[in-house]
Amino acid sequence: MDLMKKQILQDGGIDVDEAMARFVQNEALMMKFLLRFSQDKNFALLKQAMENRDAAAGYTAAHTLKGVVGNLSMKALFDQASAVTEDLRRGDLDSAMEKMPELENQYQRVLRTLESL
Amino acid sequence: MLTENKRETILIVDDEELNRAILANLFDDVYDIIEAENGLEGLECIRQLEDRLCAVLLDVVMPEMDGLTVLKNLNRQGLTQTVPCFLITAAQDDATIREAYQLGVMDVISKPVIPYVVQRRVNSVVELFQARRKLGAQVQQQQEELLRQAQQLAQMGMGMVEALATAIEFRSDESGEHVRRIHDITCYLLRSTPLGEGLSEEEIDLIGVAAITHDVGKISIPDAILNKPGKLTPEEYELMKTHTVKGAQLLSQIPQMREHSAYRYAYDIALHHHERWDGRGYPDGLVGDQTPIWTQIVALADVYDALVSKRCYKDPLAASVAMEMILQGKCGVFNPELLRYFQEAEPSLSRLYKPLGG
Repeated sequence: MDLMKKQILQDGGIDVDEAMARFVQNEALMMKFLLRFSQDKNFALLKQAMENRDAAAGYTAAHTLKGVVGNLSMKALFDQASAVTEDLRRGDLDSAMEKMPELENQYQRVLRTLESL
Repeated sequence: MLTENKRETILIVDDEELNRAILANLFDDVYDIIEAENGLEGLECIRQLEDRLCAVLLDVVMPEMDGLTVLKNLNRQGLTQTVPCFLITAAQDDATIREAYQLGVMDVISKPVIPYVVQRRVNSVVELFQARRKLGAQVQQQQEELLRQAQQLAQMGMGMVEALATAIEFRSDESGEHVRRIHDITCYLLRSTPLGEGLSEEEIDLIGVAAITHDVGKISIPDAILNKPGKLTPEEYELMKTHTVKGAQLLSQIPQMREHSAYRYAYDIALHHHERWDGRGYPDGLVGDQTPIWTQIVALADVYDALVSKRCYKDPLAASVAMEMILQGKCGVFNPELLRYFQEAEPSLSRLYKPLGG
């Protein structure tokens, strides 16, 4: 992977080395899923669920989002998604709600990074 | 030779394409990969491809059917014993993991996966199952080989007994067919009539073997008497009668025979196959059921076969004539019940004989 691209991704909170290891150095496969990330519906679903105060739907979306970003080694976003997932697993909507701005912040950061490639 | 199905396929069951892609990418250089998008689809794949799968990687939270429900189904069908299943899960709660292990997963691997960890864990379990199958197949092969050898030994033992009996028959100028027919008639009556009630298949087989040696004692009878064309003198007849006691003695002196499971039958048959229902037989003058039913059967079969066969002192008689003589008590008195069943079976028994002149 060229160093410029790697730097951009790392600045955007993506642990490129870890992600590459997960894809067994298959860069094309990793890039395919990174670039597809902006189409992932789970963040939108999570936001919708939070507005509806639907903890169950929120949990499903957060859990899936966490899985995706974890696999793509989006570290900061993963930590935030994990925290929200745990809150919603316990049905603690208020606590999850408090974490949503930071989650959105990290989410947008990753999206911007990917767009800039 | 047992052939082991090639098990080289890993089934990945996960609703997230990304998860499936990562796992597939980890294993597709060594294994064939099949993917399923939910539990229901995964279960269907396992049912169809069970004998080709070397591992199943199973997500927990999935639409249609979740991973634990898939496991429950596999567990119920005993499939978790033959195909190693792995739970790949982001949910780290204790209850799920505990239940998964109880349902028979080989390992629980947390998401996001660390490649070499998944590879190592999956590969070692796949190898374990392969080794186990190979070993199981080898053990089974060895068992079959042992069984085959045991059967061979038993057949050889039988062959020796038959050879001995036949050799003795040859001395009295009989064909060797005699012992074979006594065996067949005895087994037929025990299997096809109520006379064999209470006897197992194995016991009947042993009695059949024992019937073969009924006349081994004739080895002690001089040729001049054994092959005398005319009627025996009273002294000669007394000597002839000793073949029963001599036969039992002979059998009891062969250690291998004594330890044979047919021995107790063989001993009694050799000793008592000339006893008669009314107590006028020899050597002990036993009355009625003092002689076991199987020895009574051999005695009757012996008489019948002697009548319908050619002997040095007589020509063969027609089966109907032989039957008539037996029923009239010309060859001594037999158990009436035995006679009834024998008479019923006689048409089948006469089929054991080649047509005259043939």
